[in-house]
Amino acid sequence: MSRPNRPGGPLAALASTALFVLAVAGCGSGGSSTSTIPLKAGESPIGQQLTGKHRGGTLTVYEHEDFEHFDPGEAYGGQDYTVLYAIERPLYSYPPNTANKLVPDVAATAPVISDGGKTLTVTIRPHIYFSPPVNREVNSGDVAYAIERGANPNVANPYFHSYFNDVVGAEKANGGLIAGIETPSRYTIVFHLTKPTAALLYGALSLPLSAPVPPEFAKPLDAHSPTTYGTEYLVATGPYMLKADSRGKFLGIGYQPGKSATLVRNPTWNPHTDYRPAYLDRIDINIGGEPTVIGQQVLKGQNVVQNDSPAQSIVKEAYERYPQQITFTSGSGDYYASLNNAHGPFTNIDLRKAVWAALDREAIAKVRGGPLVAQPMTHFLYPGVAGYEQAGGAAGPKVDYNEHPEGDMAVATKYMKLAGYSSGKYTGGKTLQVVGSTGEPAEGMAQIVNQTLQNLGFKTHLSLVDQSVMYDKYCTVPAQEIDVCPNGGWVRDFADPQTVLYVPFYGPAIEAQGNSNWSQVNDPAINAAMRKAELVVGEPARAEAWAKIDEMLVAQAVAAPEVYVNQANIEGSGVAGVNQLWNSGAWDYDFTSLK
Amino acid sequence: MTTGAADILIGSEGRTDLLDLGRAGGVVYARSPRQLFWRRLRGDRFALASLAFIALLLLVALAAPLIVKLAGVPGPYVQNLNATDAFGSPLGPSAAHPFGVDQLGRDVFARVIYGARVSLEVGILGTAIAAAIGTVVGLLAGFYRGWVDTLLSRTIDVVLSFPVLLLGLGLGAACGVRGCVKGAIGPGTPTIIAIVALVNWTYIARIVRGQVLSLREQEFVQAARSLGASNTRILFTEILPNLLAPLIVYSSLLIPQNILLEAALSYLGVGVRAPTASWGQMLADATPIFNTAWWYMAFPGFALLLTVLAFNLLGDGLQDALNPRTTTLT
Amino acid sequence: MTRYIVRRLLWGVALLFIVSALTFVLFDLLPSGDPAKLRAGRTATPQAIAHIRHELGLDQPIYTQFFDYMKGVVLHFDLGYSFYSHASVKGLIAERLPATVSLAAGAIVIWLLVGLSVGIVSAVRRRTLLDRTAMGTALVFISAPEYWLGLLALFLFASDIGKLAVFPGAGSYVAFSSEPVKWFTALILPWLVLAASFAAVYARLLRGSLIEVLGEDYIRTARAKGLTERRVVMRHGVRGAITPIVTVLGLDIGTLLGGALLIEVVFNIPGVGRLNYDAINHADFPIVQGTVLLAALFIVVANLLVDISYAFLDPRVRFK
Repeated sequence: MSRPNRPGGPLAALASTALFVLAVAGCGSGGSSTSTIPLKAGESPIGQQLTGKHRGGTLTVYEHEDFEHFDPGEAYGGQDYTVLYAIERPLYSYPPNTANKLVPDVAATAPVISDGGKTLTVTIRPHIYFSPPVNREVNSGDVAYAIERGANPNVANPYFHSYFNDVVGAEKANGGLIAGIETPSRYTIVFHLTKPTAALLYGALSLPLSAPVPPEFAKPLDAHSPTTYGTEYLVATGPYMLKADSRGKFLGIGYQPGKSATLVRNPTWNPHTDYRPAYLDRIDINIGGEPTVIGQQVLKGQNVVQNDSPAQSIVKEAYERYPQQITFTSGSGDYYASLNNAHGPFTNIDLRKAVWAALDREAIAKVRGGPLVAQPMTHFLYPGVAGYEQAGGAAGPKVDYNEHPEGDMAVATKYMKLAGYSSGKYTGGKTLQVVGSTGEPAEGMAQIVNQTLQNLGFKTHLSLVDQSVMYDKYCTVPAQEIDVCPNGGWVRDFADPQTVLYVPFYGPAIEAQGNSNWSQVNDPAINAAMRKAELVVGEPARAEAWAKIDEMLVAQAVAAPEVYVNQANIEGSGVAGVNQLWNSGAWDYDFTSLK
Repeated sequence: MTTGAADILIGSEGRTDLLDLGRAGGVVYARSPRQLFWRRLRGDRFALASLAFIALLLLVALAAPLIVKLAGVPGPYVQNLNATDAFGSPLGPSAAHPFGVDQLGRDVFARVIYGARVSLEVGILGTAIAAAIGTVVGLLAGFYRGWVDTLLSRTIDVVLSFPVLLLGLGLGAACGVRGCVKGAIGPGTPTIIAIVALVNWTYIARIVRGQVLSLREQEFVQAARSLGASNTRILFTEILPNLLAPLIVYSSLLIPQNILLEAALSYLGVGVRAPTASWGQMLADATPIFNTAWWYMAFPGFALLLTVLAFNLLGDGLQDALNPRTTTLT
Repeated sequence: MTRYIVRRLLWGVALLFIVSALTFVLFDLLPSGDPAKLRAGRTATPQAIAHIRHELGLDQPIYTQFFDYMKGVVLHFDLGYSFYSHASVKGLIAERLPATVSLAAGAIVIWLLVGLSVGIVSAVRRRTLLDRTAMGTALVFISAPEYWLGLLALFLFASDIGKLAVFPGAGSYVAFSSEPVKWFTALILPWLVLAASFAAVYARLLRGSLIEVLGEDYIRTARAKGLTERRVVMRHGVRGAITPIVTVLGLDIGTLLGGALLIEVVFNIPGVGRLNYDAINHADFPIVQGTVLLAALFIVVANLLVDISYAFLDPRVRFK
């Protein structure tokens, strides 16, 4: 019944993220000692050995949630990425121990940026082959097609317009050739941009959209609406592939929706072209099941891991009794309650500040499982993202409504009065529509926010629906006029602060449907600052620029912050698990091995 | 429970002693069926005990705020994360929280007490609406027969062809946010009551129709008709009063099933909306942590079990009292 | 008789058609998610969504959509495709049905064995302590929510989280064809929990019916002929009392084959009930429509069979 609440998509950052394995000796009694666990961003991971213990074997994976997409053009988000980065290779990617250092993947070297940041040239590695039935060598045309099909309505890549729009001709693209993408040779691909944003594009080339797709195989499939590439058929470039028949069909063979998925070795994968060791021979993924039961099976099992967040009671049990079998990755995104800046009571900035002040962020951290997995959020760049420290670090910008993470009704009352409600309680008569997600801990978080609103005098209508319905029907559709979406969240798309702030808070990016700017923030000063910061080059300067924008967002109280999250991962006693750091902090199957 | 309705209709025992008394020795007692009904009910210990329990439950539901206050526990909506441990896991029964707390640190005792409100509201109100619709439909079908009867019977067939739980689940989900029928039926409890009424009226309608079909041929109705009474008059003054006892009995048998239906829908996440306390929803919340927080699963579950059991016992008793030939339990 | 059967059959088909139409209207008027949006993905452009809406025929008037759907169902037995996984609904149902049938079949065997024996014993030993205890227990099982009983069973007996690790817990179901032994052990708890309330209902039902029959003249005749009491009860009594059981059993099987939703959810059994539940949560309309239609089909067919077989089963009806 419950489902872990994954941050909803676009995710981003520079700077590194720390992963640490609990080094608790023996069976601690848990309790208050947990709050002292250090969580320093930028620390190198403890206990994460990248050299595997043993080659071969089958890893069994349990996950409560089903996958959404296996198409590299459609996939967007943690769950899908765990499989995507084992079966597909983008131009660049992040090895497990770094969240900020891209290494060439299908690309042979780092890109060449020229023309003042308006041209980016990538050389592609030879001897990379597509899996059967295609079997041929990957060339630059396959990368061009992979990106161009992202604009095809049948593929409808979710971040195409966020990160590829500056490519010449991309804005109006609909699946055909894009003028700004050239393939002068078999191993060279060139991107021409309308703005000097090549550095950002370089980061975006780590997303699955840049993973090569063979046009002769995928084009007929892409003619379907939606495409059947990635839902029925798929070819791989990575060390693994979804088990498939001789025509490349995996649906019903390597993937049973809602039940299971099977990854086997890709016979055409050449280890000499790849930095991934790929120790495992096979990965069996079981989908569904109660999180508590899954957790027990993993903790008491051997060659088994859980892929989504373990249940709260499991985190506790693992910490107390199986400390060697649980890891925490910090910098796995944040959660905040989006407040409708464009419609209803929260067009009033003082009411937004009142909610910020009143919300007990420590209670929300507790409901997510305590300090091991969540800390009160104080601003929008989260730990591990470049600019986090510049924007105030853990304490955040110094404004009175931010000072008491446990909630401060006195400050809240002050802002209620400033908003014109002399009693300190809302008396406007409007009933707020609050739409949250079912399943713990999302439900608990939504109810805490709901109670806070009621404490401020608001009448509310709380609806808890399936996460997908919350997204697709309500919170991403401005016309629904939802006042509060308490289960909003964000994880960086790649290592740049822009990917944490731009999409969820840039006014002109508000869409009628599929809107990621849930709060519908459209502040001219913030928009202008973002347009300037986008063009800033160099990591320290970018961190500085985006930290400034973070402070502006706090000053506008565009949303009510909840928590920064750490991803907890549990493994069986026989697994030497390795986590990735750059995105949601989930398992990296390319480096995980059996003991 | 899918078979309850059928069970209610059939099931019998030859406990004919009470009835036979009247005929024994050819003496005719001047007791109306209604007097007999009450007399028999008074003799049923289980039914009376259940009735007392239900009365108590009604009192608890009505006086929930007072009881919670007297018990000295926080109200059902008071969140207190300090009542959970360092990992946010709820703590069990203690002096401060006799039934323990839930994930948000809310007092389970207070929520169980308030949960009675939802169960009774849906069980009784939903059944009453179903009975009202069913009575009107059954009266019309049985009295006018012909095409009216055909139409209504066919409609009943259609409703009965829907899988009850799937229909409830679909309606509950569809009306979950903005309500149904352009908001006329609000989301949450009103939607659940509407679902209960929708799936139950057919059952009452069939019973009423059958009763009316036999009543309308009886002498007192024929007599009234020959005296020139209008159809309306016959329906309301001759037939309806005779339907009251069976209506009460069969409705009472529906109440426990409807309490279970509400709990099931809330358990499946499409019923009563959070943060309103409902036993089914508490069980749903307890599911992910039931192996560590037994109290959260146990207390709402037992509350539900006892309530449904009491209504079932009372229903059995009422049915026995109405028609001793269909004695079910004792 | 033939005429009657033909008429019932035609009405059954009409019923299914009406149920389909109502389900269609219901979810069109009261959408819980935009299917085109669901398919297009979280952040698709409005153009992409409009395109998909057109491809799915969602821009057509509802009666056209319904007509197209029914054409597919009738001509090709095609139930459409999931908005989510794009898998064929027919295929998904075929894949999930064995689990539901396994669950139902085992539970039916258990509840008939337990329910009928308890019913007979209770009827024969009417108003003894045994009878009262049995009927009291039955009423408790009828009153307990089955998902709660399921949770209790898991809490007590599941091998992964239970206090006494006896039976495999939730989510351990495997297909009979792959591992028959594991299939059996995994289903023990769900079978018992599902059977509990049904056994209770059947015991009450048979007890009542049998007590009535044992008072009938032909039983007295049988006794007078000097038959043993055992023979009287089992041969003549139960045979005469079984008709209502068969009726209810038919309807129950019909309902159960549409998915024992709550049990499938609690024990995480991948049956059609859970398929429907997941689909409703995700607003995956083609699967909802397909599973509702399937469940209605079983109910209608069960009703039909029960009605037709009624005459054949009841000796009193037959001899009239």
